[in-house]
Amino acid sequence: MIAFLQPLWLLALSAAAIPALLHLRQRHNPPTILFPAVRYLQQTKREHSKRLKLRNLLLLMLRTLIIILIVLAAARPVATVQVGGVHTPTALAIVVDNSLSSGVVLGGRRLSDLLVERAREVVGRVSESDHLWLVLADGVPHRVSRLDASRVLDSVAPQPLRLDLGDAVRAASSAVTGDILPSHEVVVFSDRQATALSPGATPEARVLVWQAPDPVENRGVDSARAEPAVWRPAGTVIVAVGGSGSAPGAIQLRIGNQELARAVASPGERVALRPRVLQRGWFRADVAMDPDELRMDDEWHLAVRVAEPAAAHAGVGAGRFVREGLSVLQGSGRVGTGDVVVLDDRLMSGRGVMFPPADPAMLGAANRALAARQFPWRFGDRVTGEWQLGGMVGPAAGQPVLTRHVLEGTAGAGGQVLATVGGEPWMVRNGDLVLIASRIEQDWTVLPVSAAFVPFLDLLVNELATSSSVVVRGLPGEPVELPSNASTVLGPEGPGHATSEGRYAAPLKPGVYFLASAAGDTVGALEVNHDPRESLLTPADRRSLRATLGADAELLDDNGITREMFRGNRRADLSGMLIAAAVLAALLELFLATAGGRRESR
Amino acid sequence: MAKLERLDLLDPYEVAQLGGLELIAEGVVEGFLSGLHRSPFHGFSVEFAEHRPYQPGDEPRYVDWKMLARTDRLTVKQFEQETNLRSMLVLDASSSMHWSGSDRRLSKLEYAKRLAAALSLITLRQRDATGFIGFDDEVRAVVPARAKLQHWWTVVSAISKLKPGKGTAAEPALRRVTDLLRRRGLVVFISDLLIDMDLTLLSLQFLRHRGHQVVVFHVMDPGEVTLEGPPEARFEDPETGGGVIARPRELRAAYAETVQRTIAEWRLACRRGGIAYHHVLTDTPFGHVLRRATARRSRLG
Repeated sequence: MIAFLQPLWLLALSAAAIPALLHLRQRHNPPTILFPAVRYLQQTKREHSKRLKLRNLLLLMLRTLIIILIVLAAARPVATVQVGGVHTPTALAIVVDNSLSSGVVLGGRRLSDLLVERAREVVGRVSESDHLWLVLADGVPHRVSRLDASRVLDSVAPQPLRLDLGDAVRAASSAVTGDILPSHEVVVFSDRQATALSPGATPEARVLVWQAPDPVENRGVDSARAEPAVWRPAGTVIVAVGGSGSAPGAIQLRIGNQELARAVASPGERVALRPRVLQRGWFRADVAMDPDELRMDDEWHLAVRVAEPAAAHAGVGAGRFVREGLSVLQGSGRVGTGDVVVLDDRLMSGRGVMFPPADPAMLGAANRALAARQFPWRFGDRVTGEWQLGGMVGPAAGQPVLTRHVLEGTAGAGGQVLATVGGEPWMVRNGDLVLIASRIEQDWTVLPVSAAFVPFLDLLVNELATSSSVVVRGLPGEPVELPSNASTVLGPEGPGHATSEGRYAAPLKPGVYFLASAAGDTVGALEVNHDPRESLLTPADRRSLRATLGADAELLDDNGITREMFRGNRRADLSGMLIAAAVLAALLELFLATAGGRRESR
Repeated sequence: MAKLERLDLLDPYEVAQLGGLELIAEGVVEGFLSGLHRSPFHGFSVEFAEHRPYQPGDEPRYVDWKMLARTDRLTVKQFEQETNLRSMLVLDASSSMHWSGSDRRLSKLEYAKRLAAALSLITLRQRDATGFIGFDDEVRAVVPARAKLQHWWTVVSAISKLKPGKGTAAEPALRRVTDLLRRRGLVVFISDLLIDMDLTLLSLQFLRHRGHQVVVFHVMDPGEVTLEGPPEARFEDPETGGGVIARPRELRAAYAETVQRTIAEWRLACRRGGIAYHHVLTDTPFGHVLRRATARRSRLG
């Protein structure tokens, strides 16, 4: 079978018509010359017409053949051969999985080093006529030369990223199958984590997967979360341990160099660490496990905010249950005494929580007051029914709501919906004011007579009504959405700024990055941590690979990769042969064309 | 002029630039005769007729040495038949003769005119009666043969006035010769021979049978011997208007073969008929042509 490496050149085959067209054009209107000895010429033509016709036909065919041969040679034809030749020019993508899991140490060597070493061998076999792509942990195919590929591989190291191997192979396959070369292959050097093989369309290119050494058991921190969001001053860090195996490991919670709590947990377990922090403010905390063969998933970074309890006051309009509940919280020291936060059915200046007025006649006045404060929500119709409470309501989630006002947002309403009932806003916040759609009374909701009421009130006063700070969590390099009041991300390499839509690409390095407002106040934190799925090193088996990467996907050892790569038959480049044939034809044409001249000279 | 240059040995085109037909013919003949040791055309009778003054080119054997001793003058003896030699120049003035392959060459007709003028001067200087017939598709000019030297001006005038005609028909002109030459004489036929070969040869052989010496000058332009031109052209015959499309490059060799074969055919046919044949290219100096022709004729005579 013959294929062409530069098939666009075949369009130039139309040039083969040039000799015939020139011939016809010359025939069209030749100049007239007076010549007395025409009778000799006629006699000559009569005697030589057959020979001349044959000669001209041969010349025409030779000239056409020369053009065809040259054009075909330019199109770089290659033919399948059994012996000799070179491999089929191949569009080859090499996937080197330098995600976080490639940092595992196997047999004294880091897995990523083994992957790079094998990838380098493959690059060494790539010829000038191949086209090469390199896919790293970012999952994006990059078209590279052999030299570039070697240079990139020199600097490849494990990244705190997750590589979706299924998507990466599919992207690599798309890149190579879109190439003009006749053969397409994807070679994968990865630990082939089963969790990384996302399902999707079967790649069109042939996929060869290198069989990495068997993995070891691994523990890692899957998550660590500070609860509540604001410690006053005590709080809890809930740590989830992931990975494989059952061996327990020690977990430490540190702020700065100070170890604040310690626990022991096995993969799959969750532990609560309860430190007490005396100072107030924002802190970077680290949760670390005992090191194992994969170090990069043994740490988790989180932000901790420690603040005084909020000083609150409940107005008459807040209702009996709110006042009583607040007294309980104040008595236990969970809430201070003061009017930093005012809970009432009237709009107060400053920070507060507003309920619908008990007297329906006051509803209009309440809405006018909200409008005067440019609050983007207002009380609508009063409706009754039964809905489940959801959203940021802590232990009150699922409590029934029986009566409520419909919260109507003005056009382009801003603010934040904190809780919903039946898919509609029930509790919203904008600036210093929290608006609740129901009064906290038995006719309106079951909440005040439930056990969840006091914790809900604690949450409402200490967090929802007082805190405008937010902790944003993201993966390295992934885009995150920052709160509207955060204008700057404070990183070790200087401040970074979000886009106008509030989006920001999380730094590649895991850690805690504080968010600052335009005025310079710390208004939140960005926690960047690894993807916990990278801790699961269990490899996909051959069946899973074929189910995801196609029935032709092969799981191969070193020899298998060497044997199966560039399997698209050995091929010989026919360009040289065609050029030689064109030269021969040109010499023959020259011989025929000058035959008359030579006879004359004799 | 004639004393300064050997016009007979110069390029005909260059020579033609020097003056009119008569002047050139005289110059050529002077040069030609000064290189000869004897008269180019001599008679074949031994009966003495008269003396005449010696002229350069006369053979020393005809010098009357006794007369020289008595009178101290160089005289030569003339014989009966020699004085009566009558020659007739027959010149083809068809349109095919009015062609030159180069601006730096005389057309075949111009060349032939000068050649005819020179030949007539040579014969008249030998006191031979000389006449002229010009023709194309019919006879255009006739000058009867006279022996007086002044008759040359009449002949030259007729040659000069001859204009290129249309087609070629040699037979009537040659038939006219038989009317004008009652006794045996010399017929010089100057043509490019782009005519009917069989008919022309028949007429020439008829002249031979009548006892005439016949000399044929086949005039060709070098451009007719070698085919040149653009890569492809329509070659048109000026006489017939017929043409043929050809590529000179691919036909050149074959064409040259055809021309040489045709020349060889004419030469062979003439030889078989006892006719002297001379192939003349228009870039050949006149003297060379005259010398070749006279040498051949001497052998024939």
